[in-house]
Amino acid sequence: MKPTSKRRVESLCLGLIGAALLWAAIARPARGGQGVGSADVDGGELLLPAGADGRYVPAPVLDTDVAIWVTGVVARARVTQRFRNPGDDWVEAVYVFPLPDAAAVDHLRMLVGPRVIEGQIRERGRARRLYDAAKAAGKKASLLEQERPNVFTASVANIGPGETVEIVLEYQEVVRWEDGEFRLRFPLAITPRYIPDGPPAGTPDVFEAEPVSPVTPACYADAPVAPVTLAVEIDAGFALSSLYSPSHRIQTSRVSDTVYEVWLDSDAVAADRDFVLDWAPQRGQTPQAALFTEEKGGDTYALLMVIPPDPGDAGEARLPRETVFVIDTSGSMAGASLEQAKLALTIALDDLATGDRFNVIEFNSVTRQLFPESVGADPASIEQARHFIDSLDANGGTEMADALAAALEGDPPRGFVRQVIFVTDGAVGNESALFAYIGEHLGASRLFPVGIGSAPNSYFMRKAAQFGRGTFTFIGSPLQVSERMDALFRKLESPVLTDLEVGWDDPAAEAWPAKIPDLYAGQPLVVTARLTGPVDRIRVRGDRGSGPWEKVLRLRSPAGPRDIDPPERSAVAKLWARRKIDALMDGGIEGADREAVRQAVVELGLAHHLVTRYTSLVAVDVTPTAPQGTVPSTMSVPVNRPAGSAIGILPTTATSAPLYLCVAILLFGVALLARPRGSAVSPGEAR
Amino acid sequence: MTAGFRRAVFLLSLSSAGALGVNGAWIPVKALLAQELLRHSWERTRSGEAEVKPWPWADTWPIARLRLARLDLDLIVLAGASGRTLAFGPGHVDGTAQPGGIGNCVISGHRDTHFRFLREVRLGDILELQPVAGPLRRYRVTAYHIVRDSDVFVLQDRDEPLLTLVTCYPFDAVLPGGPLRFVVQAERTDDTAGGEGR
Repeated sequence: MKPTSKRRVESLCLGLIGAALLWAAIARPARGGQGVGSADVDGGELLLPAGADGRYVPAPVLDTDVAIWVTGVVARARVTQRFRNPGDDWVEAVYVFPLPDAAAVDHLRMLVGPRVIEGQIRERGRARRLYDAAKAAGKKASLLEQERPNVFTASVANIGPGETVEIVLEYQEVVRWEDGEFRLRFPLAITPRYIPDGPPAGTPDVFEAEPVSPVTPACYADAPVAPVTLAVEIDAGFALSSLYSPSHRIQTSRVSDTVYEVWLDSDAVAADRDFVLDWAPQRGQTPQAALFTEEKGGDTYALLMVIPPDPGDAGEARLPRETVFVIDTSGSMAGASLEQAKLALTIALDDLATGDRFNVIEFNSVTRQLFPESVGADPASIEQARHFIDSLDANGGTEMADALAAALEGDPPRGFVRQVIFVTDGAVGNESALFAYIGEHLGASRLFPVGIGSAPNSYFMRKAAQFGRGTFTFIGSPLQVSERMDALFRKLESPVLTDLEVGWDDPAAEAWPAKIPDLYAGQPLVVTARLTGPVDRIRVRGDRGSGPWEKVLRLRSPAGPRDIDPPERSAVAKLWARRKIDALMDGGIEGADREAVRQAVVELGLAHHLVTRYTSLVAVDVTPTAPQGTVPSTMSVPVNRPAGSAIGILPTTATSAPLYLCVAILLFGVALLARPRGSAVSPGEAR
Repeated sequence: MTAGFRRAVFLLSLSSAGALGVNGAWIPVKALLAQELLRHSWERTRSGEAEVKPWPWADTWPIARLRLARLDLDLIVLAGASGRTLAFGPGHVDGTAQPGGIGNCVISGHRDTHFRFLREVRLGDILELQPVAGPLRRYRVTAYHIVRDSDVFVLQDRDEPLLTLVTCYPFDAVLPGGPLRFVVQAERTDDTAGGEGR
């Protein structure tokens, strides 16, 4: 080999080794780095066919009007949107749109010219058949179906050329409470968003490469932005200490002690960002409670809201805690899951305050406790716990019952609140037995399941939290560990009211949630109930740690309508029905089989006019308008990810085999190039 | 380049290549071998034993047999879909409907071993699922989607029987852990066959 070629080989070798190392290095961070978090839903879109090339374009939204009524924590919204068919053909439009996470759509009205078609709640399959029949008969029809918790599809059949259709929908949601403030968010992205440069963010490239859906994503051209008008009325139940919008300029007016009105500063606002409204009730030294009621069908529906005291005073009222960490080290936790669980516990240890007590329990086929019983959170014991957690290894079965028994055993020391942080992937088969055990042995403890891994058993987590009177946290990726654990601990730090009981003064009262959780500094507590008898006051009792707390509330009705025309006044009844449906869907009523649950949900859906998994809204016009024999073109819309509804991620299902083989081949190439000189020539020459 | 350095590079890269190659080749071999061992414990399960572990230290057991005649495919499905389980066979995702039951039964498998066949699945294909107990169920493939890993709606329960198969996407990616998933959904067809017979 000549010196020059020798050098070339040398640098080639080094280059290849470098490339291989670099490859191995980048391979790791790439894992799990994407796809988690709250990516955006890219607005709702009404798609219409355009031209002969088979593409579809969004129909122009002419305008949007939004009116929202807030009763305590319930917001009812009415959204009016007008669409126009700009083409020359009769079309069926399919409109997919996001609503706030917990929004429950209950009304759909379609206005075509002078005609008003009121949507009816029907069992889902029947609604679909009614719609299809109307479509085939050339009638105007509209169908609203729930695709996923916060994604809805509205189909409108037989829109004539140049015709304008107005769709009015009403929904209800529970407003969020964040850092001492209520926050109402209205996704103005509900109107089409036009993005001049390419497809919306988050659309995987594969949709271009491999059309899985029959619809090619619409081209996002420049288009006029839809103007929006918006008004909000808030009956907060308390006097407010602040009311403002971080997103838009607003005007406000106070109607009475606890009722406020809000409207956008200019009449029409471009729908380029979500509307956000924040308000904070004036808070005192002790928890406060408010009660809203309404009559419906001879029954009284009540909404009880308890808000924690001013955080400035919360420190004083803070109950000392006994925290029991339980970590699942069974075989199914092996790998990334166990690493995340360890990280979560390490973060949790940092959160302990002097005066708190704690213990760590590990379980797989057997249960192992770090300390025989809880110890004070001093630096030495925390250090010991850190070592213990570090040394954990995943192996064996999932014998959860013993671990639960160890965690819930006995009573916490006098004056302490016991919080059990239960980190697991929930890979168990004997769920009902475990739930029963938790229900029986919970005592003064509270159970906070933390779901770990790519496919945790979310049913187990949710139900265990419910039976354990705690909340459930889900951690889907290593990136979420510290954020989610911090949020959990901020909340757990300050239980302000435990063992809450509500005396409804009516033996037939049906309250949801049936088991009332504790009140924490970070979260108001909302209980709904249906009362059958005449009740004029209710009594709320709890333990403040320093002593008992009690409030007597008189029943009152929500403030009457003001300037804006209110929708049907059934916010509280609907919230009650929605919560009961959630409980039913969770299999919350023991012994109920699937068919019984379905029937009960359909009944509630029909009685309270709610769109559920089993009921849909359908609106059919009686007169055919499309010319006979016209078959409207149908289109579906590629569905986007619902924001924030990611309760988990799908299992990861690729092995490292192809990567290993590729690197192996590469390295083999390196070896071939760098093979000792003797073997570089033929055996005969070498001799 | 000195002869010593060359020798070092040669030996290092050759041995690394060997180790990685063995490792990379072992994964598919393990996937195949495991299915053979699983077939044995499946037979025992079918004859009435409960939760037959294929090897003493296993933390999973066979719960169904999945077949697709057109592709000559025959797989034993395991309980649970943790990474450890998936090395040996497709896994039933905890918390979803049981195989053969009412509701959405979700099974996931590795895109480069057991569930590689999904790339060849066509709409209308008939998947046969034999649960441990009860009759053989047939499912007709009605849809496939490419979704992000956070699109858990494919796991959502239904009130009618549905079989959902999940694997990673794209099939030929070299790096594991990408954000896309390939999802095949199949609805139960009315004709139920006699099953494997006990």
